Amino acid sequence: MKRCKRHLALATLCLAAAGQVDARYYDEVIDSGYIRIGTYRDFPPYSFEQDNLPAGVDIEVGKRIATALGVKLQVHWIIPDENLGDDLRNHVWKGHYLDKDPDTPLARKTLADVMMRVPYDRDYAYMRESTGELTNEQVVLFGPYQRESWRIAYDSQKIDEVSTVAVFQYHPIGTEVDSLPAFYLTSAFAGRLRKNTHHFPSMPAAFSAMKQGNVDAVMGMRAEVDWQLHQNSDSRYKIGENGFPMMGKQKWDLGMAVKQSYRQLGYAVEEVVDKMVRSGEMEKIYQNYGLTYEKPGLYQVVE
Amino acid sequence: MSKFGRGTGFAITALVAGMSVAGMSWAGVTDKDILNDQMTTDDVVSNGLGPKGQRFSPLKRVNTDTVKDLRPVWSFSFGGEKQRGQESQPMVKDGVMYVTGSYSRVFAIDVKTGDELWQYDARLPDGIMPCCDVINRGVALFGDLVIFGSLDAKLIALNAKTGKVVWKKKVADYKAGYSLTAAPLLVNGKVITGVSGGEFGVVGKVEAYDAKTGKLVWSRPTVEGHMGYIWKDGKKTENGISGGAPGKTWPGDLWKTGGAAPWLGGTYDPDVNLLFFGTGNPAPWNSHLRPGDNLFSSSRLAISPDTGKIVWHFQTTPNDGWDYDGVNEVVSFDYKANGKTIKAAGTADRNGFFYVLNRENGEFIRGFPFVDEITWAKGLDKNGRPIYSEAHRPGNPAASADGKKGKSIRAVPSFLGGKNWMPVSYSKDSGLFYVPSNEWAMDIWNEPVSYKKGAAYLGAGFTIKSLNEDYIGVLRAIDPKTGEEKWRYKNYAPLWGGVLSTAGNLVFMGNPEGYLMAFDAKSGEMKYKFNTGSGIVGSPITWEMDGEQYISVVSGWGGAVPLWGGEVAKRIKHLNQGGSVWTFKLPES
Repeated sequence: MKRCKRHLALATLCLAAAGQVDARYYDEVIDSGYIRIGTYRDFPPYSFEQDNLPAGVDIEVGKRIATALGVKLQVHWIIPDENLGDDLRNHVWKGHYLDKDPDTPLARKTLADVMMRVPYDRDYAYMRESTGELTNEQVVLFGPYQRESWRIAYDSQKIDEVSTVAVFQYHPIGTEVDSLPAFYLTSAFAGRLRKNTHHFPSMPAAFSAMKQGNVDAVMGMRAEVDWQLHQNSDSRYKIGENGFPMMGKQKWDLGMAVKQSYRQLGYAVEEVVDKMVRSGEMEKIYQNYGLTYEKPGLYQVVE
Repeated sequence: MSKFGRGTGFAITALVAGMSVAGMSWAGVTDKDILNDQMTTDDVVSNGLGPKGQRFSPLKRVNTDTVKDLRPVWSFSFGGEKQRGQESQPMVKDGVMYVTGSYSRVFAIDVKTGDELWQYDARLPDGIMPCCDVINRGVALFGDLVIFGSLDAKLIALNAKTGKVVWKKKVADYKAGYSLTAAPLLVNGKVITGVSGGEFGVVGKVEAYDAKTGKLVWSRPTVEGHMGYIWKDGKKTENGISGGAPGKTWPGDLWKTGGAAPWLGGTYDPDVNLLFFGTGNPAPWNSHLRPGDNLFSSSRLAISPDTGKIVWHFQTTPNDGWDYDGVNEVVSFDYKANGKTIKAAGTADRNGFFYVLNRENGEFIRGFPFVDEITWAKGLDKNGRPIYSEAHRPGNPAASADGKKGKSIRAVPSFLGGKNWMPVSYSKDSGLFYVPSNEWAMDIWNEPVSYKKGAAYLGAGFTIKSLNEDYIGVLRAIDPKTGEEKWRYKNYAPLWGGVLSTAGNLVFMGNPEGYLMAFDAKSGEMKYKFNTGSGIVGSPITWEMDGEQYISVVSGWGGAVPLWGGEVAKRIKHLNQGGSVWTFKLPES
C-alpha cells in the first residue's frame, strides 16, 4: 500500500493495484479489469481533483476509454518534470528513480498504461540525438484528440480591447513562469513587453492576480484561460481578439502515448478516441467544461 | 574507546563497539574543534578538513615512499537497492565515522571494525523531484549532533550516539522545487545552509540556524530585491534588501523568480570572519530575456555569519547564458608578495577561469584559464569581468520565432563546467591548488520542437562533446600566484570527485573508473591506485588513530554526468553503480 500511495493519490483505486506494477500488454490490461491512465496532477481543466474525485477533460476521455474496453479506470497522477521527455521516461517507459519502496525492493516501477495530453507532433516523435539515435524510440505517440493554442483574457475595465499584443507595452500582463508565453512576452518585439510581464506559478494564480487588479490581462493555453473565464463567469473579463505574431508555435495537437512494446493497446485506445472525435462526443466533453474545442489537424484536413 | 583485536567475531565486535560508544565520555564537537580541524589530525569534523576548505592534512606517515603499501582495512556497504551517486565526504570523531549515502541516508560506522552503529533513512515524501540525482554531500557535526540536509529540503539533526532525530526544520518547500544536497557549514554554533532548486522560479537563500535548537537565526536571499530577515529574541526583523532594491540589474519582475541557488554550501574563514557562498545560474535559462547583470546570480558572496548581511560580492558570469553556476567553493589561503601577506581566496569556476580574490574585500587580484580552451569569453578585464565573445552566446528565442531550430552555438567549457562541484585542494606545503577539471564543449541551440506539461515550449537543445579522444578529466596542479600549471594527470572519464593533499607530499583523488589514486604532489607521478569496485565521485579524507594514518573515501558512481546523454555517455555507460566506504592504512610495522 505504501508503495502504491507514492504515485496513486487515489487510495480507493490503489487496492486493485497492489502487487501489479509496470505498464502492460493489451491482454494483461483486459484480464486485470482495469486500465491505468496517466494524467497530470492539479492541472485544470484537463485533470485535477474536484471534491476528492478526479475530474477534467482528460479524465472524462479516460473514463470512456475504460468503458469501451470493458475495464475500470485507474488514475495515475503525474507530477510534471522539466519537459515532456522526462515525463515519458518517468511515467510511460522506464519509471522514476525515486519510485522505490524498501519493503518491496524487487517490485517493478509504477507506470501508466496510457498517458494523456502528449503532443502529437511528427517532428517531436522522430527527433534524433546528435548521435543519430531516435530520442523517443521507447514510446509511441498516437491518437490526437484536441488542438490547443494560446489565448489572452483581459479585464475590460482596465483595457478597452485587445486587438494586438501591442497594448502590453502599456498594460501589465500575467503568465505562468517558465512557459512559452513567458518566453514570448519577454523576448518578442525586442523585449518591449518585457517590463510589463508578471510571472506566476500557475494560470489560476495569474488569473486571481487579475481579479485583484495586479495585472490587466493574462496569457496562457486556450483551455486554461477558457476554464478561468468559465469558473468566474463575469462579463468584465473578456477574450482577446489578438493574434500572436512572432510566436513560433501557434497551434499544436494533443494525443496519447504508450510504451513502444504495447502497440496493440495503443490501437485499441486509438479506435475508441477516434470515434469520440468523429461523433462529436469529444466536443461535448469540452463544452461541458466551458472550453473551446478544436479538432486536431488530421481531422481538419479530412473535412 | 580502547583498542580491540580484529580477530573478535562480528557479533561481539558490534556489541562491544555499540557499548563502548554508549559508555564512553562523549566530548562532543565544539566550535574550536571545527576551527582547528585542519591541525587536529585525530578527527575530521568539518567539510573540507577545516572551514577554509583547503582539504590539506599535515599527516605524513603515508607519503610518497610508503603509499605503495597502502591497503584496505574495511569496506562498508550502504546496501539496499538505493545505489546511486555517492558524493559524500565522511567525518570522523572519537572512533566513529559519520557518512551520508544517496536518498538522504546517514550511517554511523565504528572506524576500527567497519561495523554499522546506526543508520538513519529520511522518509522522503511522495512526488519529490530533485533535479540532478539523489545525492548528498555529507554531514556537519556539533556537540552530540549529526546534522544534514535532506532531498525534501529539511535540516535534520540526529543524536550522534543513537541516530534518533533531535530536531528537524523545513528550510524550503520541496513542492516549490527546493532541495538540499550540500553538507551544512557549522560556524559559531550556527548551522549555515543554502538551498538547491531547478528552474521552477525558486529564489536562492543562505540561512543560519541555531545548531542546538534548529531555530532560524537569519535568512539572506541571494537575488537582488528580496528582503533579508534576522530573528531577535524570537522576533522576525527586517534586515535589509539584498542588493538594496529590486530591478537594478533585472528587467520586469524576473528578480522575483531569479534562481541563484547556493546549492553547494559554503566555506568560512575565521581570520576575516566571513562566510563564502557561491550562487547558481539565473532563471530563465535564456539570457536574452533578462538583459542586465542579474545579481547575485553566478557570483561569490561574502556574508557575515553574525548579521547575515552581504559584505562583498564577486560575479564570475554576469548575465549568464551558459548555465555556468557560480557555486564552486571559495578556498581561503595566504601568500606572500613583496614582503606582505595577502589574505587571498582561490576559486575555480564552472566558466573555466580560476580567480584569486582578496578575501577581505572581494577585490580581484588575478584570474586565468585553468582549462585548455575557453570560447565564451576572450579573457578577463582588470576587474575580473569577462570580455564576452558574443558569437558564442546561446541564441535569442525571438530568433527562432519561425519555428525552426535555432542556430547552434559551440561553447567551451560545457555547462557541466571546467570544474563542477568536486572540491579542489590547496597544499600549504607546495603552495599549489590541485584542481579536478574536465575538458569538454557543448553545442547549444533553441529547440522549438519542445513540450512541457502538454504545452508547446522553447527548450534548449544541447549536446556535450569531449575535446580530446583519450581524456576528458584532468587533475591539475596550479600555482595561484602565476597561473602556471605544474603538472597534469589525464583521465579518460570526466572527473567528478574531490581532492585531498597531505604533508606526505601526496595528492589523493578518485575517478569514475573506480580507482582511488595517489600522486606525488610536486611531480604528478602516480604513486598508488586501488580499484574500489564502483566509480568514485566523493571526497577522500585522512586522519590518525592509535599512531596510524587512515584514508577513507566513498565509492558509488552517479551524480549529474550519467544523467546527460550525447557523446560523453559512451565513455561512462559501462561504469557500474555502487555504494560503499573504503578505509585504508599501512600495514603495521
